[in-house]
Amino acid sequence: MAEKKVVLEIQNVSKSFAKVENDEVTHALNEINLSAKSGEFVSLVGPSGCGKSTILRLVAGLIMPTTGKITVDGNEITEPSPERGMMFQKSTLFPWLTVEKNIAFSLKMQGKLKGNEEKVERMLKVIGLESFRNDYPGQLSGGMAQRVALVRSLINEPDILLLDEPLGALDAFTRMNMQDEILKIWQEKGQLALMVTHDVDEAVYMGTRVIVMDANPGRVVADIKVDEDYPRDRSSEAFVEYRNEILNRLHFGGKK
Amino acid sequence: MSLKNPQNTKNTDSRQLAQLTRQQLKELEEKEKTSWQKALDWMIMVFPFVCGIIAVAEYWMIPNGSPNKNPYTYVGFLAILIAAYLIYFAFSVVKKLMGDKSVLDMLRYRAPLLSALFLLLAGYDYLTLKTGVLTQPFVPCLNYIINIAWVDRAYLLECTLHTLRLLFLGYFIGVALGLVTGITCGYSEKVRYWVNPIIKFLGPIPTSTWIPIVMVVASSLFKGAVFIIALGSWFAVTVASMTGISNVDKDFFDAARTLGASSRQLVFRVAIPHAMPSILQGCTQAMSSACVAIMIAEMMGVKAGLGWYMNWAKSWAAYDKMFAALFVICFIFTVVTKALDLIKKRVLRWQNGVVK
Repeated sequence: MAEKKVVLEIQNVSKSFAKVENDEVTHALNEINLSAKSGEFVSLVGPSGCGKSTILRLVAGLIMPTTGKITVDGNEITEPSPERGMMFQKSTLFPWLTVEKNIAFSLKMQGKLKGNEEKVERMLKVIGLESFRNDYPGQLSGGMAQRVALVRSLINEPDILLLDEPLGALDAFTRMNMQDEILKIWQEKGQLALMVTHDVDEAVYMGTRVIVMDANPGRVVADIKVDEDYPRDRSSEAFVEYRNEILNRLHFGGKK
Repeated sequence: MSLKNPQNTKNTDSRQLAQLTRQQLKELEEKEKTSWQKALDWMIMVFPFVCGIIAVAEYWMIPNGSPNKNPYTYVGFLAILIAAYLIYFAFSVVKKLMGDKSVLDMLRYRAPLLSALFLLLAGYDYLTLKTGVLTQPFVPCLNYIINIAWVDRAYLLECTLHTLRLLFLGYFIGVALGLVTGITCGYSEKVRYWVNPIIKFLGPIPTSTWIPIVMVVASSLFKGAVFIIALGSWFAVTVASMTGISNVDKDFFDAARTLGASSRQLVFRVAIPHAMPSILQGCTQAMSSACVAIMIAEMMGVKAGLGWYMNWAKSWAAYDKMFAALFVICFIFTVVTKALDLIKKRVLRWQNGVVK
């Protein structure tokens, strides 16, 4: 485990947004408390509007909480940092840069590219896209593009990996492959991973913890520890039980 | 291991298929042409040559309706065009024999248009020199125009250089300033607050409106003309780059920020590259507006350049000179537009295959 161990603390965080068209204010998050540390894979599930993506953006430092504070090892988050890598649902690869340059973007921005070219090389190898290094993102399939986006955010070896519905736009098979790939990378490095998803199966399959949220106002309704070894069996009894419990919490449990 | 010979491609294994080029794939999937179609293709490709001969014959065999001095000039001109086509044709055939079919395909694509060009020349000559349907010397035949262009070449060249100097000076000043204002306006709300009203107010006024005012106010006509051309270009580039920058997807900024980009880098590494298609679109528009402005400026006030030359020739009833200048203007603007197009293609190569 190359990364340093970190502890993320979200303390009494509320976040509200002012609407553009009128004077109304939406309360995306209400008094959230959450703590997680390196080695954990935290899945956030919940209906749309429950503020799960907002949590990620807050942790990334892209937006600031209305009240409360978020700290990493006691230091308050005030701005985005390459130490907290983020992967978005929509492909945010820069279409004017080749695959290789997209991956190297972060190093270049920090002026650290010189002498670190082999890092880019390694990342290309991890996702097996060496032969696509000079292609532009427009030429890649959705799955390939998300792989590139994943390693682009990993090149700084972040302590915290933020995944905002990273696989939401992919087809079912690519999605299952990518779940395993992400797990493999996470298991190797043991970062703290926070992943937002709509898919309860995905949340259980990947997470060491599943945070169930509800909307209006956005709040945490359950914090479920998933105590199963990887790789998990999607049809095992325990797996189905976890899934049913989460669905129940989301008011979708029909049978019980 | 590239697939040199298209005949072999039918039996290649999948590993070789993976290395197919686009051209080879096209050939592989194309329906075999019938021998009749092939013969027709060749006939079409020879046709420009035939039309060239027709043009020469038309000029040589039909008696002239008006006196014609130095008759060989036009024949020489046609001969050069025909020779150029033949060289192109031979080059394409050699390329095909070496395995590259694309050049010949391009020739086949262009051949009908080139044929039409020769026929057009022949038709124009018939209407002017031969029959006088278009009265001489008001609409002079090509032989007159080429002759006078050659006689007056030194002066024409001087005027051309003057026009180019004025055009590029004005254009580049306008584009440079336009980039600065456009990008800062697109990026900063505060600057937009102050600059937007100016653009809204000045924008709808056609550049030519300024010419009389500038002619009075400016210390030299040349500087005045530079100002007018720059103003038009500035406006086009400002508006285009402003829209380009303010339309940048916010997600790109978010991604770049989490990757450690500073706010300066957000402008230069994200916003500007993202807005590049729009910016270059603005540069093209600026060029066409500059071309209009320079002609008006030269015809109305500036005492040099091709626009002035045309006006001056008209006042001396030297219609052949007028047409000669017109052709030079056509040629310059075509070359400049083409060059801009090539730059655009090169810079925006990442759009290839994405935006059709």
